[in-house]
Amino acid sequence: MITTRRYFVKLVGGAAVAAGAGLDAGPTRAQAAPVKLGVLAIRAGIAAPVGTAGLRGTEWWLERVNKAGGILGRPVQLVVEEESNPKDTVERYRKLVLQDKVEAVLGGISTGVTLALGPVAEDLGTPWLSWDGTTQKGVDETMPSPKWAFKSVDNEVEAIVAGILTPKYFKGIKTVAGIGNDYSYGHDCWESYQAVLKRYIPDVKFVLELFPKLGVTDFTAHIAAIQQAKPDLLMCSFWSGDATILMKQAAAVGLFKTMKGVFTTAGGVHDSLKKEFTPEGLLLGYNTMYFDDPNGSALLRQFVREYKAKYNEYPPYECDHAYFNAESYRAAVEKAAGGGTTWPSRAAVVKALEGIEVESLSGRRSWREDHVQMCNFYQGLTTHKNPYDFVTLSPLEVVSTRTAMKPAGAKLFDWINSWKI
Amino acid sequence: MQKIFNLACGSFYALGAYVGVSAVSWYTSAGGPAALFVLPLALAGLAVGAIGFVVERGLLRFVYDRDEAFQLLLTFAVVLMMEDAIRLTWGTSPQSTSALYLTYGQVRVLGATAPVYNLIVIAASLVIALLIGGLLTRTTFGRIIRAAADNREMVEALGVDLRRVYARVFTLGTALGTLGGALVIPATAAMSEMGIELIVEAFAVVVIGGLGSMRGAFVGALVVGVLRAIAISVYPELEMLLIYFIVIAVLVLRPRGLFGGAAA
Repeated sequence: MITTRRYFVKLVGGAAVAAGAGLDAGPTRAQAAPVKLGVLAIRAGIAAPVGTAGLRGTEWWLERVNKAGGILGRPVQLVVEEESNPKDTVERYRKLVLQDKVEAVLGGISTGVTLALGPVAEDLGTPWLSWDGTTQKGVDETMPSPKWAFKSVDNEVEAIVAGILTPKYFKGIKTVAGIGNDYSYGHDCWESYQAVLKRYIPDVKFVLELFPKLGVTDFTAHIAAIQQAKPDLLMCSFWSGDATILMKQAAAVGLFKTMKGVFTTAGGVHDSLKKEFTPEGLLLGYNTMYFDDPNGSALLRQFVREYKAKYNEYPPYECDHAYFNAESYRAAVEKAAGGGTTWPSRAAVVKALEGIEVESLSGRRSWREDHVQMCNFYQGLTTHKNPYDFVTLSPLEVVSTRTAMKPAGAKLFDWINSWKI
Repeated sequence: MQKIFNLACGSFYALGAYVGVSAVSWYTSAGGPAALFVLPLALAGLAVGAIGFVVERGLLRFVYDRDEAFQLLLTFAVVLMMEDAIRLTWGTSPQSTSALYLTYGQVRVLGATAPVYNLIVIAASLVIALLIGGLLTRTTFGRIIRAAADNREMVEALGVDLRRVYARVFTLGTALGTLGGALVIPATAAMSEMGIELIVEAFAVVVIGGLGSMRGAFVGALVVGVLRAIAISVYPELEMLLIYFIVIAVLVLRPRGLFGGAAA
């Protein structure tokens, strides 16, 4: 499906590189034929900014890889399809594999969708690497030992990280209120955050929980209810434009003058959290990539620079989920080829993906043996001391999924309750 | 009056919001004083209401005599098209007017802190409600509107050009929608789905208040707004449920709504 001019140019460009490689002719003609990768990205609705960031991360990877000669000498082409509801997205997934004959599919953000994609990926026998979606029902894994499906970090990890960091930065918290979206993610984050916090502060009271539905843009009444409940701290797991709106409406009544705030996931819309209405000293989660990481690699710096130049924005975390998916696939193909130039079988590629570790934008990332992404989470206190018009983090905390994600096969709450604190 | 259930009212609201954001950012970048940002916001909101004229003359006038299902489908098509047009023009990211919302500061009202901007919007809505009330009850145009709502044939027989009345009424209604969208935007952010959200709530408001009644719409909106706020404070799970309980109760006990007149 040729959807945009840019994509068309890329396609033509890819074909030209392919033709060139054919003429230079080290490998056979079949070897030099372009390799197609399917991409599923949300490009409409409330999660569109997240999907767009993932797609941009993948495109940046594509440019670099093709410039360096492709994978095993084959130029790479993307076939981009839309992620929407589970039913239609499954159809598009099948189309990518059966009709476009892609070697692998990258992408998938909404767990509602990826829960349905998992079994289809297994059925069609093609590697699927998910940007941000899991195959969890609530906090429980539904596909503990998949063959073809590679999944994102567990949904509730950012809430767990925030739960670990809350007692470190906010002393004397006795009462907590929570607000999240009224669907699985919002509820799971709140449950997990409560479970972790109770381990550190056994007598903490949870005085209010609010779950407005996704897409609500007026939180005046919710904020009034929070003020009435007078908690010491408010925990919020909003991750989209609603995080910005809540922040602004909270600032308008001075909410965070009387309580602390934890925003587990609002770093996804970080550059909309302007200094005028986002106070300093909130705990803010940037998920798995922090564009302003003082210890960031040269790769991250280059990416942030080029992203800013091209889109006039600072990249959010989804870019790196997507970059890692593509880059780990490339590394796995080369590993499975064992130094040769023959394209490995799909089964050999998924075998090579298991446990592989690669250099990604945010640092080293890997696939756990049960096909779950392993990486770092970035959270910290908001600060105004930066050259931007939005808040950044200082001090910055980096917490690995080795610490904050339940091990393969574990039950979440049993695992949290088994911690030695 | 036009006997059309217009789903696209939500889209006009969204359009007003987006145009409001653009107008304000143009105004700010042109160096306009922050304290007066409401003026370009409201003017832009009103001006874009002109699209109502285009929709009425270009689309709706062809379906006045058609089946209601057909009218619903047509206005729903407008909803979908406007949503895509908004995405095409402003992109998919939420758009907001940054921190202008906080320009006017806060006041303490009855022991609670309220942003002054919210009070301005409440005052503006009261003024608009009074103006519309005055228009409907005290002007010739208003009398014609009410007469046409009761009996179109008779009004036409008396020599009124209903086509012009329809175009003016629809444009006025649209301008109120777009103005509402523009005024709400400083406190929140414009998202392309916001129109659909509004339609659902507006439906509850008119069912409770009574279709075709201005007073009903006013009271219905208050009932829905206040009940939601109370529910969120007292028992958050009831927030939406409570509204629909009332909608059902009204439909069963008083199908014409609290202020619905006799047979429309």
